[in-house]
Amino acid sequence: MQVFDEVKEIPRAQRIISALWIAFFNAAVATAVFFALIDPMELEPCIPHFPQASRIGAYTIGFLLFWLLTAATSLFTITFLYPGKRS
Amino acid sequence: MDQKVMDRRRDARDREVEKALYARREKIYPREVHGLFAYLRITAVVVLLGIFYGLPWLDWNGQQSVLLDMPNRKFHLFGLTLWPQDFLYLAFLLIIAAFSLFFFTALAGRLWCGYACPQTVWTEVFLWMEQWVEGDRNKRMKLDREPMSWHKFRIKATKQFLWLTFSAFTGFTFVSYFSPQDELFQRLMSLQLGPWESFWMFFYGLATYGNAGYLREQVCKYMCPYARFQSAMFDKDTLIISYDAKRGEPRGPRKRSANPRELGLGDCIDCTMCVQVCPTGIDIRDGLQYECIGCAACIDICDEVMEKMGYPKGLIRYTTQNAIEGKQTHLIRPRMIVYGLLLLGMMVALGYAVATRNPIGLDVLRDRNSLFREVGAGLIENVYTLKVMNMDDRPHEYRVTAEGLPELQVLTDRPTFTVRSGEVVEVPVRLRVPEDALGSRRADVTFILQSVDAPELQTSEESRFLGPMP
Repeated sequence: MQVFDEVKEIPRAQRIISALWIAFFNAAVATAVFFALIDPMELEPCIPHFPQASRIGAYTIGFLLFWLLTAATSLFTITFLYPGKRS
Repeated sequence: MDQKVMDRRRDARDREVEKALYARREKIYPREVHGLFAYLRITAVVVLLGIFYGLPWLDWNGQQSVLLDMPNRKFHLFGLTLWPQDFLYLAFLLIIAAFSLFFFTALAGRLWCGYACPQTVWTEVFLWMEQWVEGDRNKRMKLDREPMSWHKFRIKATKQFLWLTFSAFTGFTFVSYFSPQDELFQRLMSLQLGPWESFWMFFYGLATYGNAGYLREQVCKYMCPYARFQSAMFDKDTLIISYDAKRGEPRGPRKRSANPRELGLGDCIDCTMCVQVCPTGIDIRDGLQYECIGCAACIDICDEVMEKMGYPKGLIRYTTQNAIEGKQTHLIRPRMIVYGLLLLGMMVALGYAVATRNPIGLDVLRDRNSLFREVGAGLIENVYTLKVMNMDDRPHEYRVTAEGLPELQVLTDRPTFTVRSGEVVEVPVRLRVPEDALGSRRADVTFILQSVDAPELQTSEESRFLGPMP
């Protein structure tokens, strides 16, 4: 398939960065919506060993977790889009 | 032309674009431009960055004018305080921003990209610094080709120093939108920044440095979602930057005194200035391209060249596809009307919602454990929990009443209660009604919450009163 051959030539670094970038974008949106609805201080009693962080800290951790999740999704998708090496 | 031939040509063009998207990048050295549109962009840069860097220093009634106080979960916008419950306004604002983008894109093409996008604006400033330290286009290219020397190192180090200082200041400004600027500044000076503040300052500063210093046009070409879908908003009446091929071709060099018609030439002298000034490194003479961010640098430089040659200006100009094809350009068209009306409607709705915003919130929850209780003397009791939100920026004292049933009694622990600014307080309330007054198994009741100290603050909420089968 022609299209497929050309896509294969995208450098790996570019593939990873584009996945991370889109994930970053979506994580930012998710973080904004999530923390607009939920005050991290209210989560404290629900989660055992909740870190005694400030709200800013909780937002940052929340954002990084969202980013981890969205990035993992994108990275797995692009990984599975490429066939394994035929030996 | 044969449909198959056309299809094949289009496929070939698509492949070219695709190849270009994934090709190794060559550094672009944009030449400095002067002219009307360069002037407009400088104005836009100064105004927009002025707002960005200035706003945190501006006070409004003794309070930072724009402070998105995330630690305390409230946004201050010029005297208006918004709480998480007001999230809807933010969503509205974003929708309005999106529709404005659609509207102006359909009207005038990539105005946003050329003049207002942070990527353009910061890249412009970083380019100024680069030009100031390293010199003009030829000098910069020569410097980069030279092997490392003390001279080159000094120049590069000066540029890096300027870039890094500016980025650090940008990072500080960004964080001061979220953490009060004066306290933040004091903590910065005494090196007592919190870990999260330091992290975001570093992060935003680094992003500015990388995007404006190095990635530049690659952000527009590879990373920007808007650049990819803006063509959907284009039509034949959209303002685009275009080279007038009819007038310019065949291009070629000639003496200033020569008459191009006698030489069989068009007005384009093929000086390649338009290519040299382009921040995305394209040749506008090849037609409309997705890389073109509509900065109009090529218009400015070409006009300058045309003037020197004594030809009329506008060989490259803002125009529309219809105008190029010799047809009429329609400013008012269905697309513009639809976008315009949607935009206007949404702005009116937001304005109305903000103007009539009631800084008092009430939620009524029925007690889930029992439907009703008979409390003697023929009275039926229902228990509720009221969630009272004070979204004003000062505390208020409230009283709850209820109506909807005859001889309705409202019992609260205390006759009035105080809710501090931004707080949500749960108030248990019992309603009692004589069984004969109830009449049916269920009835609607309305809770009314009113501030004692400011009677205009009032809201109501409906709920249900349940009783036994009559």
